[in-house]
Amino acid sequence: MSISLTINGETHATNRDPLTPLVDVLRDDLALTGAKAVCREGFCGACTVLMDGQPVVSCLLPIASAAGRDIRTVEALSDGGELSPLQKALEQHDVVQCGMCFPGMTVALTSFLASNPNPTREQVKQSLVGNICRCTGYERIIDAVLAHAQAMQGGG
Amino acid sequence: MDASAAVMNYPRRDARDKLSGRTRYTVDRSRPGMLHGAILRAQAAPARIVRLDVSAAEATPGVRAVITGRDAPGLHGIGVADQPLFAIDLIRHQAEPLAAVAADTMEIAKAALAAIRIETEPLPAAVTMEQALRPDAPLVHPDWTSYEVLFEGGGRSGNIAWEATVVRGDAEAAFSRPDVAIVESNFRIGRQNHLAFEPRAVIASYEDGRYHIETSTQVPWTVRNVTARVLQIPASSVRVTVPPVGGGFGLKFDCALEPFAALLARKSGRPVKLVNSRQEEMLTCLCRENAELRIRSAVTGDGEIVGREAVVLMDCGAYGGEQIFLTTMTAHTLLGNYRLGSVKLVSRAIYTHTAPNGAFRACNGVYNTFALERHTDEIAARIGMDPLAFRRRNVLGAGDLGATGQVFEGDALGPMLDRMAAVKASRPSRKAQAGRRLYGQATTVGTWFVFVGPSAATINLHSDGSASVITSGVEIGSGTMVQAVPQIVAAELGLRPEDVIVRAADTDAAGYDVGVGGGRTTVSLGAASRAAAIEVRRKLLAVASQMLQTPAEKLELRDGRIEIAGIRGSGTTIAKVAQRAQELLGPLSGVGAFTNSPVVSQPGCARGHFIEALEIPIFAVHDCEVAVEPETGHVEVLSYTVVQDVGRALNPRAIASQIQGGVAQGLGYALHEEITLDEQGRIRQTNLETYRVPLATDVVPVEIHLHEGAPSRGPLGAKGAGEVPILNVAATVGCAVARAIDRRVEQIPLTPPRVLAMILDKAPAVRLPHIAERWEDNVLPRPARKS
Ligand code: FES
Ligand code: FES
Repeated sequence: MSISLTINGETHATNRDPLTPLVDVLRDDLALTGAKAVCREGFCGACTVLMDGQPVVSCLLPIASAAGRDIRTVEALSDGGELSPLQKALEQHDVVQCGMCFPGMTVALTSFLASNPNPTREQVKQSLVGNICRCTGYERIIDAVLAHAQAMQGGG
Repeated sequence: MDASAAVMNYPRRDARDKLSGRTRYTVDRSRPGMLHGAILRAQAAPARIVRLDVSAAEATPGVRAVITGRDAPGLHGIGVADQPLFAIDLIRHQAEPLAAVAADTMEIAKAALAAIRIETEPLPAAVTMEQALRPDAPLVHPDWTSYEVLFEGGGRSGNIAWEATVVRGDAEAAFSRPDVAIVESNFRIGRQNHLAFEPRAVIASYEDGRYHIETSTQVPWTVRNVTARVLQIPASSVRVTVPPVGGGFGLKFDCALEPFAALLARKSGRPVKLVNSRQEEMLTCLCRENAELRIRSAVTGDGEIVGREAVVLMDCGAYGGEQIFLTTMTAHTLLGNYRLGSVKLVSRAIYTHTAPNGAFRACNGVYNTFALERHTDEIAARIGMDPLAFRRRNVLGAGDLGATGQVFEGDALGPMLDRMAAVKASRPSRKAQAGRRLYGQATTVGTWFVFVGPSAATINLHSDGSASVITSGVEIGSGTMVQAVPQIVAAELGLRPEDVIVRAADTDAAGYDVGVGGGRTTVSLGAASRAAAIEVRRKLLAVASQMLQTPAEKLELRDGRIEIAGIRGSGTTIAKVAQRAQELLGPLSGVGAFTNSPVVSQPGCARGHFIEALEIPIFAVHDCEVAVEPETGHVEVLSYTVVQDVGRALNPRAIASQIQGGVAQGLGYALHEEITLDEQGRIRQTNLETYRVPLATDVVPVEIHLHEGAPSRGPLGAKGAGEVPILNVAATVGCAVARAIDRRVEQIPLTPPRVLAMILDKAPAVRLPHIAERWEDNVLPRPARKS
């Protein structure tokens, strides 16, 4: 039985087992290796993608449950090679280290900022609890997110 | 050259792809025709292998290669070659490799593993160091005497894998002085897991009679040499290349999966990918080791430390590995920081039937600093001196003797303590924020070092005015290869850092390198790159001098141009000079190299040490404030401040990133990260649910002050900045909590149950019955040294 997935606006049919985690199809079949399978148990957030605009961990999402939904991966945030404004802010603040957590983190932050365009420091912190970073100690990421949110407010 | 030309907050060039998910780490790569490898690992240890039958795995359709210990006879190790690739006859620890397969798919590979028949016979175990040190303890390596010793000088006997000692001055006399107080402290420390986000991963192939290993490592040359050793092939037949590495922290400072993948590739004739699952990563982590320490000091009433003796037991697990080297570092950390009249130290790496430990950011320096600083507080309390005044009085300064008798250059810790005091005086205490909770504050000092060692670099200056740097350096996330190295080279050549291309590590292209870690990247690779740039600059200036009819001394390089000094627009572009040079002499290039220069210690006082003195010490002063909830034992960090010795800060913003990240890892170690072992020596924490690393809500913004100007042989006076931020975090939090709850803190992590037990006086004191009362009884009898 074939399952039809809509990923970054394109439709893909797959014959994989319906219980296959979405992250495996993204990484192994579609060469979308931005989502990282770091823990495969829903703890780290490195595999986060958007499903109908909501962040979900793709390591726990069977493809059967993703069928027919609108899936957006980190690769879609910088369509055409242009970084999103949030990604640009993270680049300019030089907060990236090994980088393994950032795809999941930017996806999660993108969705968080869409519903909280003007967050407090504490809110940004809380929003990151599902995204572990082993390198940075978080605070400078939060600085960058706040600066970005402020700039967007000022500009908009 | 003006050193300030190299100083800037140059942003990382790899951030763009990392942020957009386009960076291809080893785990993200594949090759045409690639097979999937998997390793059969031991369920229980120790045990004797009675039968290992892989015939059913070999017969499984889709299986292309099966390998066992027969395929890899060589032993490797640090100091002592004690480790085989696969368990052969003896299984020494849980998860030890028994066999490996490569198959068309991962499912087939796993099915093949399940088809392997193994019969084992259990053996008596020594799971803890206490068990391993009993006179009748089962030996982890019954054949230890037959092993090749790769570095002479360490004491070895049975389960004592390595023993290093320091004896300086007359400690006996110091401890029997009538005017001293004798203070003794005991500590027990658990293991810490790096939890690098990218697991150890490799893709290997066998082409034209050579192995190509593409791997997630910090040490391409170690991978090359160890793979050759265990496969018993010439090292020159192994090529190692390294894509961006998704976190290392020391985990990848050793050869790991590479020889398995290389063997499978050779046997199958196809590229083979091998990746550790998260569970395999947890079970074979090469953790920061668990340790047990006793430290005793003889201190006069006015705070002079006339004698110090210590016994340190470090659990190396089933194989010696990094811990054998790290016995050396105890001298410079546990016996570091302060002036000592006399010292007696023994550090032992102990074999146990548990997973091997390894290197982790600042290694044993972290718990040795914890033990030393807590001990220091206990001394100050005993003699009734303010702990900060005691530190200020005793910290090492210019001309003072270190533990092994080296003479320290320059004053760092004293001025850094003053700086911290000034910072603290300039802002209010956070005490009010503690409310009804118990408040504690501590300032601690720490000493670590740069693991210098050899590095090589080649630079090609192209006729378009760009340069490429070829080294074996790896970008593991710290930024050195994408920031400090291009900054240094660009400053030397008058280019912009973005005009300097840095080639990814390839052992076929670049000279030997010790590896990326130990704070050495900026220092050794930076210095080698700078030396190569200086050669290119000299050649460039010779040609420019002819072109501009001006002596080379009167020319300067900057902004991509060579100008007559002080006259803008008088010269020409570097690209034009490089073109001219190419016509006259051929393409321009330069080579550079760097290595240790020996530092004198007191002859004869250190035995079994891999280095006898610190060539480039690094100092740190940390301060924190905590609030402890008396009902639950929960510790909240209210503020954290760092004054770090960086020599010269080439990229202050990138250094701040490293400090924030390193302190966060240290807070995890101090407060909640701990790997524990069950009675069978099995690691209990096998995933991210049971091993809790800091989340965003667990950390605080670190206030950071960089101390510049302490002497360093590093390029432009730089030191490594990424390793040391974790060094005194457990020490600082431990001292602050001890002061808050007015109890002896002898263990970390300070989890709420542990802290609560201390508050309620229900935490038993750490007892170490396997450390003999008399220091001498903890030392192997050794033949007297020839003088
Ligand atoms: S890999 Fe999905 S949450 Fe960790
Ligand atoms: S940057 Fe390495 S895990 Fe976040």
